[in-house]
Amino acid sequence: MRFSDNFKIALEALFAHPTRTLLSLLGVIIGVFAVTTLISLGEMATYGIQHSLEQLAGRSIYIQPQFKPGVEPVRFDADLLRVLRVLPVQPIPYVLSSATAADRRGRLVSLDLVGTVGNLPALDASVELARGRFFNRREAEQGLPVAVINAKAESTFFGEGRGLGRELILNVSDGARIRTVVVGVVRPAGGFFGGFESERVTVPYALLWERMPRKKGRFDIIELKVEPGADLKEVEKRTRRLLELRYGKDRVNVQSVQAFQQALTGITVGLQALLGGIGALSLLVGGIGIMNIMLVSVTERTREIGLRKALGATSAQVRAQFLMEAVLLTLSGGLIGVVLAAAVLYLVVLTVPFFEAFILSPLTVALALGVSAAVGLFFGVWPASQAASLDPIEALRYE
Amino acid sequence: MKPVVEMQEVKKVYRSGSRRRQVEVRALDGVSLLITEGEFVSIMGPSGSGKSTLLHVMGLLDRPTSGRYLLAGEDVTTLEDEDAARMRNRRIGFVFQAFFLMPRYSALRNVELPLVYRGLTEAERRRRASRALAEVGLADRMDHLPSELSGGQKQRVAIARALVQEPALLLADEPTGNLDSESGREILALFERLHEAGKTLVVVTHEREIAERGRRILHMRDGRLVNDEVLG
Repeated sequence: MRFSDNFKIALEALFAHPTRTLLSLLGVIIGVFAVTTLISLGEMATYGIQHSLEQLAGRSIYIQPQFKPGVEPVRFDADLLRVLRVLPVQPIPYVLSSATAADRRGRLVSLDLVGTVGNLPALDASVELARGRFFNRREAEQGLPVAVINAKAESTFFGEGRGLGRELILNVSDGARIRTVVVGVVRPAGGFFGGFESERVTVPYALLWERMPRKKGRFDIIELKVEPGADLKEVEKRTRRLLELRYGKDRVNVQSVQAFQQALTGITVGLQALLGGIGALSLLVGGIGIMNIMLVSVTERTREIGLRKALGATSAQVRAQFLMEAVLLTLSGGLIGVVLAAAVLYLVVLTVPFFEAFILSPLTVALALGVSAAVGLFFGVWPASQAASLDPIEALRYE
Repeated sequence: MKPVVEMQEVKKVYRSGSRRRQVEVRALDGVSLLITEGEFVSIMGPSGSGKSTLLHVMGLLDRPTSGRYLLAGEDVTTLEDEDAARMRNRRIGFVFQAFFLMPRYSALRNVELPLVYRGLTEAERRRRASRALAEVGLADRMDHLPSELSGGQKQRVAIARALVQEPALLLADEPTGNLDSESGREILALFERLHEAGKTLVVVTHEREIAERGRRILHMRDGRLVNDEVLG
């Protein structure tokens, strides 16, 4: 028997009952749709987050004193900044705190208060000014009361586009009040994290040192911008060694985005496997549906099978015919499922800003189609064997 | 004359019932028989006499419990199922009482069906099937579905389907049983023409009138051949 004949006979059998065929396919369609969509969404989310991360802090190493109960954390001071210059990095120190300020209706709203060095946009490309200017190095070192706020803070405290030149009074811990003048507004960060921005006010580090005695002379975190051309991993290693020499073992936490990205990939792969597993479960249910409909079909076509055998079809040929039917059935279900998934993914990319790129990898498609064919093969074996083992005399007598 | 069917002491015993009380049914109880090429033989007998079983054994749909069966000189007594299927495909043409046509296939595709399992190309199948349909006088009905044909025409399609296999043996089981007398005569006339063309025919019937179209009547009773009547 020719493959083309087998194919044609199977196709005809499926089109003999189009409604039933479609209904029996639903399980497989939903299963493949679920698996494909979930895996692709996972890939798209990973891509989105990593892309945002790279934009935000592509080639940076973050160092922070390690906090352990009962051990005095190390001090990051101005001297450390000078020491760090031996590495091919641009250190950007930060003093981190929180504060409150009155919004337009007089209610106190908490905000992130950051102290840093002057002229930040020149050091960090991700900081872009919308209006005004950034405080310069001299202002930063002298601790002048100037502030650069983000768009969120501007709209909360002054209203959009109305913050420049206004006074912002920050209530910090110990009841101290810092009066500042807004000199600049920065653009919101792009990408995934941009959407989660809270009110953020950036001031000269020396201002916080002066007004908050607890913070005096120390930085909370230092971002090391690795210079172009330098090997990130190598620099990270040298940084660890240097800090170990200066402070001792395990006193400083050194982290790069790379490590974070690796951890993130691990999480998303795990998540994808989980979601794919749930999708696979529905595929299993779909496969059982296919088996059921194939068994019905074998019973219904008992006489046809008897006739084919009487005319000389071997059991193997009958089995091949029903297996072909089952595989064709699930494969077309898989195809419909993939097309549906592609459509939905495309819609998601169009409507949800978080998903920036449409990703439907050939591997995912091949996997979806391969698995649906395998489901047909697996769940078709029993009905096909039932058909193949029919006794032609009995089958022809069947009413 | 070449022998087509040669049976020696063929028995077919069905066992049923529980282990303790086993019931034995001797559907064929020692049938010996010779049918040579070109013969037109009828098999008669009351229901339960074993004529259908004999036809099934002859057509390789069933295997004898004991005895020996040679089909066109080849020992087919103990064929495996798959070999029996291949032999049916090449040596045996069946004509059934209820026609058994595929309702969604045209007359032409119905006739092609046995050739599909030989692996012939579609063009070759078409050629042979249309020739067989012309042989039974349905050259102008090839594209019709069974539902568009009369009972007599349906049975002629079924006969064409048997002829397309170029079988050594054409087996018909009550071929006029579902037809009115007019169509029945049409089919019997066709059988006579095939006989004149040299085909070997075996027809199972319980009607004397039909059996007399043949040249020889085998009478069966209780699984045995009780009379081998040769007509003048």
